[in-house]
Amino acid sequence: MFKYLLRRFIFLLVTYIVATTIVFILPRAIPGNPLSQILSNLSRVAQANPEAIRAAEKTLMEEFGLGKPWYVQYFEFITKALRGDLGTSITFYPRKVIDLIIPVIPWTLALLLPATIVAWILGNSLGALAAYKRNTWIDKGVLTTSLIVSQIPYYWLGMIFIFLFGVKLGWLPVQGAYSQGTIPNLSWSFFVDVLKHYIMPFASIVVSAMGGWAIGMRLMVIYELGSDYAMFSEYLGMKDKRIFKYVFRNSLLPQITGLALSLGGVLGGALITEIVFNYPGTGYLLFRALTTLDYPLIQGIFVILIASIYLANFIVDFLYALIDPRIRLGQEA
Amino acid sequence: MIRPLFKNKKFIIGFSIFLFFLFLGIFGPVFYKVDPMEMTWDYEQPPSSAHPLGTDTYGRDVLAQLLHGIRSSLYIGFLAAIISLVIGTIIGSFSAVKRGIVDDVLMGITNIVLTTPSILIAILIASYLKVRSVEMVAVILGLFQWPWFARAIRAQLMSVMSREYVYLSVMAGYSDLRLVIEDLIPTIATYAFMSFVLFINGGIMGEAGLSLIGLGPTQGISLGIMLQWAVLMEAVRRGLWWWFVPPGLAIVAVTASLLVISTAMDEVFNPRLREE
Repeated sequence: MFKYLLRRFIFLLVTYIVATTIVFILPRAIPGNPLSQILSNLSRVAQANPEAIRAAEKTLMEEFGLGKPWYVQYFEFITKALRGDLGTSITFYPRKVIDLIIPVIPWTLALLLPATIVAWILGNSLGALAAYKRNTWIDKGVLTTSLIVSQIPYYWLGMIFIFLFGVKLGWLPVQGAYSQGTIPNLSWSFFVDVLKHYIMPFASIVVSAMGGWAIGMRLMVIYELGSDYAMFSEYLGMKDKRIFKYVFRNSLLPQITGLALSLGGVLGGALITEIVFNYPGTGYLLFRALTTLDYPLIQGIFVILIASIYLANFIVDFLYALIDPRIRLGQEA
Repeated sequence: MIRPLFKNKKFIIGFSIFLFFLFLGIFGPVFYKVDPMEMTWDYEQPPSSAHPLGTDTYGRDVLAQLLHGIRSSLYIGFLAAIISLVIGTIIGSFSAVKRGIVDDVLMGITNIVLTTPSILIAILIASYLKVRSVEMVAVILGLFQWPWFARAIRAQLMSVMSREYVYLSVMAGYSDLRLVIEDLIPTIATYAFMSFVLFINGGIMGEAGLSLIGLGPTQGISLGIMLQWAVLMEAVRRGLWWWFVPPGLAIVAVTASLLVISTAMDEVFNPRLREE
């Protein structure tokens, strides 16, 4: 099991280095030199104080290491990124990129993590149920709904929810993570306020993410039910429920791998959902960075996001190793 | 080979819906000749006989935008799908045929791309491009969705190549080309087609996502761009449903119909799913 985890860790580390290399190369490889664009943008965005602009220019030149050979730039970029030094924002000059990112991460995590897990559990249970009741109306209902629901973009479902439950019915607040004018604190009323704002973005992710899991799980269980061991147990006269328990466990394994692979897409969708809801998470910060072409901030957000995806991947690998007896007992999967 | 498909109810439904939207995209703008960019003073009007789907903040006709949007979203989807299919097939079959170090390197690359969050990389690339044509957006999206397909093609080809009939063909002195055309392509054809269909979905969804954060095509209209405008102008919170509901519905209808087509094909051609 340790060998397996070590292998996965090295793979993810290599992948992370490749990804950060892409983040490093892009602004330097794309014609039109975005760095000079940044500098020209600076005069528009930063305070119109010429001295401040010159100071910002100097920080930027230093941080991007312009003028130094590319391998020195690259080495500095990677080592700084590993130390958490992601440079200085242009839009919010002179604030550090890392200081802007840290306060938004909890909002994104609080939205994304529970939504992904709930969608995964609900979707898999529904899918397994559909396969168990194959060709009944339950199966057909689950499959048809899942096929449609899985194709609804999170953010569009979010828009529909805002329109229905926020605008038309007035049940829930239409934007933000808490009411404007309130200062985040630990009181009960603030908690309730946050919860009210949380329901719609959470539900839009859960509902549309669920469909895909249900479709996948249904297929897995149908495959497993047709496999030799399931057939054999049936011939032995084992109870359906018991066979199903084994089948369910085995079908769950590929779904765990699927969870790791889907994280990137889920994150992308959730970021856009945050924009639709004006939810103060990473997606919203990224959106502001993109609209003002704040490249240091954009790069910083990406370095962090990609790192967290790989970290999550590793956690899923670890869970997989715990659950799959073949890996747990030191055999190869 | 195609005939059993048309006995499958799911396939017929999915296929009809998709054809309907394909026709809307191809012929809609030809028959409904309203300029989607023309601004009028009838702004933010709900659906009426003059504007069947109402107008947006600039008084532009939403139906005209929708028809043009369906056209370019489908175009982006197809283009991205072709790119992914070609890359995936080349990498997958090279891996399967060459084996050894070529296989290791190619699969290494494939796994890295597979684990890298593609939509994020697409956002990053798009953010550095000042002008983005519809084709460029399709390329950016197509470049990252092939890995799972390459892996599946590799696995399928490897299992096919170890079967007896392929071995017999080799012994009978078939040329490589004939071997590929007669023995290998038919075995991956249905799978490739099903994947192609899902790649189109990836392209359409990817475009919508990119556009919504403001990184879609810089000229023209797509379904994603319609949604972006609606979000920018606060159409949702101001209750202008005729503006943001149609493009979303179109996205869901097209992608869900394609998913149904692919699922139905799986049911028809995959022996493990066939019912007793």
